[in-house]
Amino acid sequence: MSNLTRRSLLTTAAAGGLAMGLAACSPAQKENENPGGDPSSSTSGGNAVTGKVTVRLWDEQVQKAYDESFAALADKNPGLEVTTVLVPWADYFTKLRTDVGSGTGDDIFMMNSSYLEPYVTNELVMPIGDDFADLRDGWIEPAIEQYTTDEVLYGVPQLSDGGIGVYYNEELLANAGITSDEVDQLNWGGDSDTYIELAQRLTQDADGNWGDESAFNGSKPAIWGSSAAQDLQGIYYNFLGSAGGDFQDADGRFTFATPEGETAFGYLVDLINKYQVAPAASNTNDNGDFVRDQFLQGKVAMFQSGIYNLKNVADGAKFKWGIAHIPAGTAGRVSVVNNVIVCGNAATKNEAATIEVLRWLGSDEGASYIGKSGAALPAVTGAQQSFSDFWGEQSIDPSIFAEQGREKSIGAPSGANYGAAVAAFKPHFDEMFLGRTPVAEALAAGQEAANKAIED
Amino acid sequence: MTSPDPRPDRSLPVPPAWERARRRLPSTIVVYVVLLAGALLTLAPFVLSLMTALKTTGQFASTPALSLPNPVTGDNFARLFAEHGFTSPIAVTAQVVAVVLVGQLFFSILAAFAFARLEFIGRDVVFWIYLATMMVPQVVTVIPLYVMFTEIGLRNTFWALILPFMFGSPYAVFLLREYFRGIPEDLVAAARIDGASTWQILWLIIVPLSRPIIATLTVITVVTHWNNFMWPLIITTGPDWQVITVATAALQGQYNANWTLVMAATTLAMAPLLILFAAFQRTIVNSISLTGFK
Amino acid sequence: MTRTRRSGSPSRSRDAPAAWLFLAPSLAGVTAFLVLPILVVIWLSLNKWDLLAPMTFVGVDNWIDVLTTPTLGHSMLITVTFVVMVIPMQTALGLLMALLLSRGLPGSGLLRVIYVIPWVCAPLALGVVWKWIFAPYGGALNAVLGGNVEWLSNPDLALPVVAAVSIWSQVGYVTLFFVAGLAGIPPQITEAAAIDGAGPWQSLWRVQLPLLGPTLFFVLVTGVISSFQAFDQIYALTPNGGPQGATDVIATRIYFQAFGGAFDIGRASVMAIVLFIVLIIVTVLQQRFFAKRVVYDLS
Repeated sequence: MSNLTRRSLLTTAAAGGLAMGLAACSPAQKENENPGGDPSSSTSGGNAVTGKVTVRLWDEQVQKAYDESFAALADKNPGLEVTTVLVPWADYFTKLRTDVGSGTGDDIFMMNSSYLEPYVTNELVMPIGDDFADLRDGWIEPAIEQYTTDEVLYGVPQLSDGGIGVYYNEELLANAGITSDEVDQLNWGGDSDTYIELAQRLTQDADGNWGDESAFNGSKPAIWGSSAAQDLQGIYYNFLGSAGGDFQDADGRFTFATPEGETAFGYLVDLINKYQVAPAASNTNDNGDFVRDQFLQGKVAMFQSGIYNLKNVADGAKFKWGIAHIPAGTAGRVSVVNNVIVCGNAATKNEAATIEVLRWLGSDEGASYIGKSGAALPAVTGAQQSFSDFWGEQSIDPSIFAEQGREKSIGAPSGANYGAAVAAFKPHFDEMFLGRTPVAEALAAGQEAANKAIED
Repeated sequence: MTSPDPRPDRSLPVPPAWERARRRLPSTIVVYVVLLAGALLTLAPFVLSLMTALKTTGQFASTPALSLPNPVTGDNFARLFAEHGFTSPIAVTAQVVAVVLVGQLFFSILAAFAFARLEFIGRDVVFWIYLATMMVPQVVTVIPLYVMFTEIGLRNTFWALILPFMFGSPYAVFLLREYFRGIPEDLVAAARIDGASTWQILWLIIVPLSRPIIATLTVITVVTHWNNFMWPLIITTGPDWQVITVATAALQGQYNANWTLVMAATTLAMAPLLILFAAFQRTIVNSISLTGFK
Repeated sequence: MTRTRRSGSPSRSRDAPAAWLFLAPSLAGVTAFLVLPILVVIWLSLNKWDLLAPMTFVGVDNWIDVLTTPTLGHSMLITVTFVVMVIPMQTALGLLMALLLSRGLPGSGLLRVIYVIPWVCAPLALGVVWKWIFAPYGGALNAVLGGNVEWLSNPDLALPVVAAVSIWSQVGYVTLFFVAGLAGIPPQITEAAAIDGAGPWQSLWRVQLPLLGPTLFFVLVTGVISSFQAFDQIYALTPNGGPQGATDVIATRIYFQAFGGAFDIGRASVMAIVLFIVLIIVTVLQQRFFAKRVVYDLS
């Protein structure tokens, strides 16, 4: 419809007594009607940069930290007005794609490596170039490596997940007569397996039978020893890596249908369906937070996850808890290490202000708010102390995550169509975790579907 | 089918059936059992979800699903407004419904009047096009509409939520036209002789006589657009123009094991229409069946 | 539809300017938001677009791809199965409830109101409520039954369960139409049948049902068309097409193909057009079937 037609229709509408609706307002709209800001400002540089910048992210905890950080930025630079927009994880990457694709994306958005590539290929994110030369040395090296393609970096490192660890419920351990050292020293798989037995001793059914007793009825669970589930970052990448396997090869093709893959996934499926020491996959396949919520309600003894849940656990757990190492497989303790960056929208209407805000987020001071709030470990080295300080005051030592982050790791998800690949292999994984398709068969079918999806 | 009767007889054939029912008491009991079972099945999900919404997370986790909330807490509702910004979706949805309702009624009445009461070349062809577009499913138009709204830069705006609906719907035009045609021509002719203009005839004679069908369309439009989901889901992003259904779906996606909070959200999403329904149930129930008479 | 020129109707020339003025806004809306999209969707079906890269013209590639891979066929089969599960059941139940209500027992008016409540509520919200009821852990149904059934993640159960929710939310609505239809049957006719010795069943099949023909037609046509497009509830109950794609009906498939993960506007457009064509065929067939049936039964 042409502009002309539209205007004449509106005139008709107004004449018809419809003017009431035309000034509709959304209470959620924080006066950021013009996210691009004043175009005249985009030519100026340095500290005098002004304008409005919007930042999109998926994490509520990080959003609170960012709001404080941007308030501090506004004190230094009153011309800059930065607002944050939260889009929940479940919709984040589908909505980001439609928004950025239609040229209406926020100026800055948080990004995970599995989804970056198509944005790079289509030149939709800013290269992090000379404007950031003075800050670059302050960013952790693994994050820079993870997001560099053809020697160009495509975002400012923000959050470092480090490696994965195991949150445990001390009260449940005590009830079962198990010490935290035992949890810290577990092996899984092969002849030296200690994980299953320990998980069984921690699992209890509704009638009070323990998981290693013959009367145990796993279909009426009360407490689960293990958090095994179809959780990419928290669970299955780590088990696969610890078995000596890989999820993708160097070219991004999927390579999980291997003997190592069968060992790792077979083990997880057995924990859920054979030993019933972890929640049924029908609860967890489509619900990434089920296990965390059950852990917080005191129904899971060992919750294997990352630093991204530290604040949730610290705020939500009403019981004594601690952090242990992940169980070691035949290849040792191999974890997935992931970092998160913020990207600048190449189509931003206010490039200077966007760069200015990105520079602030990449600076020691700007990134320190993330650490100060304890929300996540900053990927800016000079800001990491604030994180340790925050948790030190609460007598919590999250060093296991950083420690695990320095160990051997399994390659994090990457590739042009990772999202499509996930959509392709997930139905097969769903069936596998539910125990309905044999592991080898599901892995082979999932791998084939995933590789077909990335070729499209 | 026959032309519409402006005053459809909606009374039930009471006396003979009642007499017979009294004579056959056992069968009456069976009838009641079936009818009450239906009512129970209909109401149970609403009662259960409200009960859950009034429980604390602790109680939900520790007691059976069917236990009564004890203590009753408004905490989940308070959290929806305080932490999850549910004020905005309600306000946005209410505005969308208001604008679409007024626009759709106004423009549909105009168009239906033209089809029903005015003579012009091409009338039948245009009306045929209207009838044909009634067959176009929403699933088919959302993709091209998404592309069109993106191209003109109206993605994620209030305009995007109202424009596709506010100029009237073919269905409304169709129902109104049928009704207008049933209004006796004599009334119109008499008004013309008295010097009334076409505009006056429409608003002073036709519209007042068409109150039942306009009430029907009001009900259908309010219900449809308060509950609309697919188009807002596709065309909006983030909190600014989120409508209540999209906000509920997003909350469910994000806090999907937190059923007390999610049930509070579904209760909120349904409450306004349920209250309206309770207030105007007779009109509404009669309205729905009126659409069956074409 | 019969066209009779009414006496006293003003001449064409006087009406025309006003008529087009009255029609203009609505016609513009219908053209822009219902007719134009049909042309646009056909054009989109000939292009490849992933929302990010520029659109490229690919001719009939999308058509060939969609029609030669099993995805669309699978979704169509699921959709037809869904419709077959829903429509006969909801129509029969609606008719049964209407017949019972028509006995005019005290309280019938209130019950009629209660049955319609689900129609007023957002299908999306109802879907979420039922998702909780069916939740394997903490859900109401398993609590009542004392079992541990995985209603929505079992590929054999998911579609029937989704269909049951759909039936639940529409029976009341269907009932209303039948109540209205039954009220429109003159009592003399049923009484005459009874005098002729017809039992309740005979009266129902021979007298009431044929006279309910128009109502039945309306209920079936609107029911089939809306069930073919069912989206909100299914989206809420089983995201991502359900276990093994058991509830991957055509509407959720199109949504996923375009916006929910695959980001393939071209193929999604092909599927949308195919759905449109199928709906037209179904409607025409229904119309034909009823045109014959109603005449036959009344003869």
